[in-house]
Amino acid sequence: MSTPNAEDAEGTTADSRKGTSSGNTFFGDVWVNFKRWNLKAVRNPFVLVVSLVQPIIFLVLFTQVFGNVAGEAVSRGLGEGIGYETYLVPAITIQVALAAAITSGIGLVNDIENGMFEKVLVTPMNRTAVFVGKTASEVFRIAVQIVIILVLGALLGADIATGVLGIVGIVAVGILFSLWFVSFSNALAILTRDQESTIIGANLLQFPLLFLSSAFLPLGELPGWIQAFALFNPVTYGVDAARSIMIDRDVMTVIDVSWFGGTLDGVVPGVAVLIGIDLLLGGIAVYLLSRASSSDVK
Amino acid sequence: MSPPDSESPIDPSANGDELDGTVTNTGAGRGSAIDVDELELTYSDGTAAVKGVDLTVPKGEFFGFLGPNGAGKTTTIKVFATLLSPTAGEVRVNGLDVRSEAGRIRETIGYMAQETSIDPELTAEENIRFSCEAYGVPRGRRSERVSELLDLVDLADVADKRAEEFSGGMKKRLDAATALVHRPQLVFLDEPTTGLDPKARNRLWEYFRRINDLGTTIFLTTQYLEEADQLCERLAVILDGSIVAEGSPADLKRDVGGEVLDVDLEGGQDERTRAATIAQEFEFFRDAEVTETEAGISVTDEAVREYGTDLLVALRDAGLTVTGFNIRAPTLDDVFLAITGEELETDETDDAKMGTGAKR
Repeated sequence: MSTPNAEDAEGTTADSRKGTSSGNTFFGDVWVNFKRWNLKAVRNPFVLVVSLVQPIIFLVLFTQVFGNVAGEAVSRGLGEGIGYETYLVPAITIQVALAAAITSGIGLVNDIENGMFEKVLVTPMNRTAVFVGKTASEVFRIAVQIVIILVLGALLGADIATGVLGIVGIVAVGILFSLWFVSFSNALAILTRDQESTIIGANLLQFPLLFLSSAFLPLGELPGWIQAFALFNPVTYGVDAARSIMIDRDVMTVIDVSWFGGTLDGVVPGVAVLIGIDLLLGGIAVYLLSRASSSDVK
Repeated sequence: MSPPDSESPIDPSANGDELDGTVTNTGAGRGSAIDVDELELTYSDGTAAVKGVDLTVPKGEFFGFLGPNGAGKTTTIKVFATLLSPTAGEVRVNGLDVRSEAGRIRETIGYMAQETSIDPELTAEENIRFSCEAYGVPRGRRSERVSELLDLVDLADVADKRAEEFSGGMKKRLDAATALVHRPQLVFLDEPTTGLDPKARNRLWEYFRRINDLGTTIFLTTQYLEEADQLCERLAVILDGSIVAEGSPADLKRDVGGEVLDVDLEGGQDERTRAATIAQEFEFFRDAEVTETEAGISVTDEAVREYGTDLLVALRDAGLTVTGFNIRAPTLDDVFLAITGEELETDETDDAKMGTGAKR
């Protein structure tokens, strides 16, 4: 072997490496972690069942069992011409985002339990890139799953009034919605450091959040206390924004604005609220994560 | 790229192309792998886990850090591996400061945690590949490196199996392989064989020796004197956060004063006391350390292997009935007894597991 310097120079140019001396770049580190978590997601049947199969079952059963009854309620709330399939599909996309976000925290707690969390901390990888890569894989999974739900919904008779642009919009709302719950489940993972607690904590919230919102029926058809709760429930804002895009009309009832005159009146307030919650919970999760990965003694 | 003043090849590609190639840190005068001055670490609940440790480990050495559970071994190794920031003191690893140059230290060390740390959902090959990517092994060399390491730890035939299907020993070997992807100059092994059966343990020892033979400095913690004796050139013994002894395994055993003869006796306290007196005054033992045990007595002396049978005869002649006996190498317990004069409080009684020949 030649001297280290000669080797170094040769290796550097030959492998077109830049940045840190380990040859890692920020985006390289993001990509490495993105790949790992995608691989883990397709290997883990629990992830697939919770975040895709369960919402699909909801979609099929709800439309088939409650379709007729709920259809009337939807007509009373939104006027004639909107089938229950069309009404429900945006809610299921939000359910997919919610369920997939739960698996984010579970992934983190598994990593803590099987030592991978610490193992990654001793590597030269950029720590922000590590978590960005993991979250990116979850966001990617959510996007794919929402598209699957939209296609399946269309097959069942749902109508996406805004077409392809609408699909992109609904995916974007779904991702925006997922981030606060991704943050929440990760925070839960760090605080409990226990798989069961994280699963129970995140899962227990899933159904109350879904049912106590505008997801399955128009709020006007629901008891007063649910309407009151729905006002503080992020699901309402996600569902109403997605649904406004789906049927190309302002269906948001919790915040009434008429700045844009049309569909955007239903989308923009929902998106604004979601961004606010994302920033709040995201900030908490980032704080907890950086504390958990710092070398300061605890 | 590493700055010119870097005294060690940070670039993993600089360590030679072949596994059996040279590791460039073996040259003389390149300083120590680990240099510790008055390290202290106190947890936020006030627990002082490490209280003023001084230590120097030269490059290329196989160094052992010996101590019972809770003595501060893991805390110390975590400071070296940049997972914990020292409360006080100076620590340099591969010439780099653990506080200000942690990122660069991480590029030059391998760390194997006490708990096996592998991704059970990935295959053996994928686990090693992930580590290659994490440590920035150049793309063109990854495949070659992965197969080299699979061979090194004998997992090539199960490369495509998911790690969750592996036995404890296989997982440990895989874990060890992932710590070596970047040809680190220094490897930390935190109780790597705890909980393994003797066969798996012997195999791991084999790999560690091989890595060390290639020029890698190894810092190993263990609870077992036998393990340290087998592997390490030099040892430090830590007890309650402080180093209480330092030297080669032979030095430490010399402190113990020879091998140990355990004698089981029929009868009770009186018989044991009489036997102890006989052993103490036994003509062939120069400086025997005699203790009474549950079942009989325990005699430590350099000559027990040679004259142990004579002692048994002497005991029989005195009317005592010997129901069993065993000669064994000193254990960590014996070392601690010799160093501190105190019985070691362990919740584990697995010295026997370490193949010291004690029959129980």
